[in-house]
Amino acid sequence: MRLFVISIGLLAVMLPPAERAAAESAHCAVPREIVEDEPRLARLAADFKSDRAVTIVVIGGASTAGLGPEISYPYFLEAALRRHHPKQSITVLNRGVGGQTAAQMAARFAKDVFPAAPSLVVWETGTVDAVRGEDTNAFADALTDGIAAVRQHNSGVMLMDMQFSPGAVSVINFEPYLEALYQAAALEGVYLFQRFNMMKYWDEAGVFAFNVPREKRAAVAREVYECLGERLADAIDYAAR
Amino acid sequence: MADAPARLPRDLRLDFFRGLSLFFIFIDHIPENVLSYFTLRAIAFNDAAEVFIFISGYTAALVYGQSLRERGALLAVAQIYRRVWQLYVAHIFLFVIFTAEVSYAIVVLQNPMYSEEMRVGDFLQEPHLAIIRALLLAFQPTFLDILPLYIVLLASFPLVLLLLARQRYLPLLLSAILYLLTLRYGWALHTRPAHEAWYFNPLAWQFLFVIGATAGYGRIAGAPRLPGHEWLGRAATAAAAAIALISITWTAHWIYDPFPPLFAKALWSATLDKTNLAPLRLFSFLMLATATTRIVRPDTAFLRAAWARPVILCGQQSLYIFCLGILLSVLGHFLLVEVSGAIATQIAINLAGIGTMIGVAALLDWFKRASRRPGPRPSSIPAMPSE
Repeated sequence: MRLFVISIGLLAVMLPPAERAAAESAHCAVPREIVEDEPRLARLAADFKSDRAVTIVVIGGASTAGLGPEISYPYFLEAALRRHHPKQSITVLNRGVGGQTAAQMAARFAKDVFPAAPSLVVWETGTVDAVRGEDTNAFADALTDGIAAVRQHNSGVMLMDMQFSPGAVSVINFEPYLEALYQAAALEGVYLFQRFNMMKYWDEAGVFAFNVPREKRAAVAREVYECLGERLADAIDYAAR
Repeated sequence: MADAPARLPRDLRLDFFRGLSLFFIFIDHIPENVLSYFTLRAIAFNDAAEVFIFISGYTAALVYGQSLRERGALLAVAQIYRRVWQLYVAHIFLFVIFTAEVSYAIVVLQNPMYSEEMRVGDFLQEPHLAIIRALLLAFQPTFLDILPLYIVLLASFPLVLLLLARQRYLPLLLSAILYLLTLRYGWALHTRPAHEAWYFNPLAWQFLFVIGATAGYGRIAGAPRLPGHEWLGRAATAAAAAIALISITWTAHWIYDPFPPLFAKALWSATLDKTNLAPLRLFSFLMLATATTRIVRPDTAFLRAAWARPVILCGQQSLYIFCLGILLSVLGHFLLVEVSGAIATQIAINLAGIGTMIGVAALLDWFKRASRRPGPRPSSIPAMPSE
């Protein structure tokens, strides 16, 4: 056992930086079907091939804003993408604002998203709608309209669903909103990043303990954001292959 | 809801299918539950909620209609309001349970990662408003939304019943108009704050309740059979079979992604609006109900089989079993989340829940029979003071 641990440690030291980071995130690997979806990101794929500068805007709620600029999944997404594409200039803009519904976020697109002319918009949404019990039809309409607006501006779009937490799912009815997200993604041909299923998988596989004492919570949050950023980078690379 | 009338032979189909829908409602109310793939919604565009509301309308008309005809409007209305009161008390009880659950959950959620999720407990910041809203049915937290619908439908039922007694098809006509206007203009009852609507819109769902009531009243007042009902019945059975086939491909698609869902693009979104009882859901239910009453007759053998007895018992005690089912689904989900979400646990929780529902129904049935049985006359014991 000890030999095994030492050899892992040696491996980590010997590996070049990029591969070391990949190995660090290996503990939060998930089955392929959670990360991979069918829709392709054509514009981003062309940008990656031509080594053009790439801008990605992540718009969403409090879980996108994170606990600070460097404790958020968009921050780790940028780091992972830069590692995957070392020759390319890649910028990830974090446009997370807490407490907004899908419709309120879509209303921010004109100010927070389109001026950056991003190759890709990652839209994280649904939490506030579910918490407040907003009308599911209105939620679905906001998604469809938001997706159409992003496409009109010639950007690719990826949807991201809610965070999973064992405590939250017993008092918040996420199901109709998850269903609306899945439906919007299926009907509009949009890549859906399944954050909910991913975190649920981590919870069940014991990768993360989401119910931890107060003093450990910020550390867990940072680790979860790092893993989400890594997996999101995998998903983006897969869609832009 | 109440006892079936004594003089008409009891139609066990009502009890059986209501009991079955209570099991399905319990199972469907536990999120992320593998058994929910195998309830009614797996083979129809509607789910057990439609069955429950229709049969409730049917039996309400049957029971209170007979009361009205035999003992007058005053007693019938008083009986209806006694039921409404019982439902109301049950709703408040479930609200207290929900509040306890949220209070627990937000302590667990005290994590900076979940700042938005924690706002589910916002109503606890203003308990004086939250409790008054709950008392006024204006606060309908997650998973506690069917009872308010049922309360409103039953509270307005005296009007329907009095109209039924005068003009049998007038309530149906008025109700259909209200349903269509609600769909057309998006009418809704609002809860807290102004933008939130009831999950089950009573203005739409009343139509199904009144359809059931019209059919149920027809049974005591003697309904003429529709001309060409044989032909209509066959068409409905064929439609129900087609709907079942399509729905099964959707269910298979949910379980195993590569399986192709039939007509999903054309039909799926038309079945989603449960809030306003989407016309396709209503159609699906009516076809299914017609097909079922053709295939299962009141004297069909399985209704008297031993295995059907527990289901029928639950259907006969539906007020209590319905509330118990909602409570058990809340507890069951809590266990799934806190203990284990493994498939074996899911199945065990479903079975334990259904077992509890049957056990309580049997207990209530025994209690009712035993209380009715005349006991020995207490000759020497002084009379008990009345309550």
